[in-house]
Amino acid sequence: MASVLQTIVEKKHYRFIDGEGVTWQEAVRLSAESLVADGTVSADYYKQIVKCIEEYGPYVVFDHNVAMPHTTRDAEGAFGTGVGFMVSEKMIDFGTDEDGEKKEANLFFTLSAADNDAHMDNIAQLSQIFMNDELLDALAKARTPEDILAAEAAYPCEEE
Amino acid sequence: MAKLDGKKLLACCANGAGSSLMMENAIRKVMKRNNITPGELRHCPVSEGKTAARNYDVVFCARTFVKTFEGVESAGTVLIPLKNVMSDKEIEAALKEADLLD
Repeated sequence: MASVLQTIVEKKHYRFIDGEGVTWQEAVRLSAESLVADGTVSADYYKQIVKCIEEYGPYVVFDHNVAMPHTTRDAEGAFGTGVGFMVSEKMIDFGTDEDGEKKEANLFFTLSAADNDAHMDNIAQLSQIFMNDELLDALAKARTPEDILAAEAAYPCEEE
Repeated sequence: MAKLDGKKLLACCANGAGSSLMMENAIRKVMKRNNITPGELRHCPVSEGKTAARNYDVVFCARTFVKTFEGVESAGTVLIPLKNVMSDKEIEAALKEADLLD
């Protein structure tokens, strides 16, 4: 079966931006654009993610400057299940968390969940990726879809 | 018998679809590694977790949601706030800290 990163490349669910002067709200919108392009999500889907982060804070930004913007299961405008991948050359500022710690991200994995099993599989794989520092470093340097595949080949995640 | 055998565990995040599922997976990994069979292990959004929490023995959440669960500990529920929701190492350490794991 194709890995989540392979699927990202196959479905063209990726985007590479410079990120200069881009707000986190704009970054969330841009990270979902590849999912909008093939109808996986609606053009307005990202607004629910923005609303959720505004309400609860930047808890979707994890260690290693990885953001996983997402909404509830069966969210409005989530027509398919997929991961919108985005690399920003500049860090995107998400403000501070509840401890006053600065949160910023340059890697985005924006989720859409319509099919439960496929979503569970994506989450399980993303957990592995987010704990794989070498892979994350390589992905942050990716500027082409080929770079994504090369990063995965160089730093594969351990099988469960 | 391990302290967490048969216990009811709940993982909560804002949406109940992303990070809480990651938490559940990480918790499952810790349980497996320590040969523990929890009575129940599931995830849900904080909106549901807020009321459901008191029916669980242990509730895991990202630190940002701690305030939501104020008061559950008086009902005997142990709250485990996590900095990194997918870190099985952090979960293991936090459970040891709470004296729920040997």
